[in-house]
Amino acid sequence: MPRDRYQHSLDELRADVLTMGETVAERLDESLEALERRDDALAEAVIDGDAQVNETYLRLEEQCVDLFALQQPVAGDLRFVTASFKIITDLERIGDLAVNLANYALAARQTVTPDVEIGALGTAAHSLVERSLTAYETAEAATCRAVAAADDEVDARCQHANEHVTRALIARTDGDDDRWGVERLLDDVSRVLLTIRDVERVADHAVNIAARTLYMIESDPELLY
Amino acid sequence: MSENQNPQTNQRTVTTTAEQPRTTTAGETDERTHDAWTAYDFDGDAKMTVDDLDVYYGDDHALKGVSMEIPERSVTALIGPSGCGKSTYLRCLNRMNDRIPSARIDGSVRFDGQEIYQDDVNLVELRKRVGMVFQSPNPFPKSIRENIAYGPQKHGDLDTGLLARLLNRSDAAERDELVERCLRDAALWDEVCDRLDDNALGLSGGQQQRLCIARCLSVDPEIILMDEPASALDPIATAKIEDLIADLAEEYTVVIVTHNMQQAARISDQTAVFLTGGELVEYGDTDRVFEDPHSDRVEDYITGKFG
Repeated sequence: MPRDRYQHSLDELRADVLTMGETVAERLDESLEALERRDDALAEAVIDGDAQVNETYLRLEEQCVDLFALQQPVAGDLRFVTASFKIITDLERIGDLAVNLANYALAARQTVTPDVEIGALGTAAHSLVERSLTAYETAEAATCRAVAAADDEVDARCQHANEHVTRALIARTDGDDDRWGVERLLDDVSRVLLTIRDVERVADHAVNIAARTLYMIESDPELLY
Repeated sequence: MSENQNPQTNQRTVTTTAEQPRTTTAGETDERTHDAWTAYDFDGDAKMTVDDLDVYYGDDHALKGVSMEIPERSVTALIGPSGCGKSTYLRCLNRMNDRIPSARIDGSVRFDGQEIYQDDVNLVELRKRVGMVFQSPNPFPKSIRENIAYGPQKHGDLDTGLLARLLNRSDAAERDELVERCLRDAALWDEVCDRLDDNALGLSGGQQQRLCIARCLSVDPEIILMDEPASALDPIATAKIEDLIADLAEEYTVVIVTHNMQQAARISDQTAVFLTGGELVEYGDTDRVFEDPHSDRVEDYITGKFG
């Protein structure tokens, strides 16, 4: 087949994006586990590992730019490189959100707010990331659309969790004169709300990956809007 | 299904168009060609309308049932591998293939609604209105000025004395005006205005090609056919020709054959892809063809995965 080197570069890009995806999904998993188990060592490891994710991101960005400049991809190849170029940005952002979650794990000395299903929400978001990467790997349009649909459910659950925490805050501050108790409660509530927001954002980035993948497969911008 | 295959001749007859698949010549490929892939929907008027055009060189069926509308005042690129029939097709548009004794042409080519394959068509007049620029610049071994003035003089459009009598102006002034206008339109004037009487063969390749375009413009064409006009030029000369083509398309209808797919992508408004066997497989807006071709064979060709 002509253009062997070009084809090799495309294959290499696909493999490298998937490897980056695996790494980021693993970091996300670890940060959720650190939150769940209050595991400082694991949280520190996620934070330290972000530099590697950033390096990978920059290297893959360069691979994409090189392909554009040197091989001028067109048609399906163009959509693949364009989608990959955008997807690595989402992966890098998911990596950053995993760092945020790890930081929340370190900060969570004690919890005075009521339990919210952070672990379950995290698992749902993590699953969307993995499914979007599977869609990218196997070029399954149906999976892309399923990820977008499933995100609506994650959004609803996050919204519900937010309300739950806010209602508890209102209930708890009534008649509570303990200044230190209020401070702790505010810290706690802020952190939990941020945690919910970041988990929800992870799912949003998974939808972005699915949207770019759908464009790659079918030239269909349906999910981009 | 609206299509019948004659097992004796292995030729197809298509009785209807949109969305109906038709089978390509047997043994060529398994992919089915959709007429919808070549039915190009565009705004504005068609300058040329080609219907079911077949070209044979002796027994060789060089072009098979090509139908295509060419929008006016735009750039249409014809791409495809060597031997796919794109140059043959281009030459059909001003009946250059008439000069090849073994060539037989069936089908219809209408230019502003007028059939050009009629016996009473004046070929000199046709080729004046449908000019052509070739791969290798071919200026006359004459001065730059004479290269431009030659065509109008030959056609009797200059030196008639008419303008001179009406406006009290000399023929020379009229000719110089024409030479300047054509050279300006071909983006060559600034480079040659102080040496119009120098021999055109002393110009660089890129300048010679722009001179040939200026010469083509001098007889006031409506369509300009270009057969790989930049393939013999360096990147800077190529860029000048490409800029020029974009400017020309504001006033003229340009049809260009190119081997350089990136060039087609850069300069054309619509792209027609011919594949081996003399078939037009896909035709549409250039950005659509290069971002999302309908045909797998076209995808393989433009991404370089054929072979």
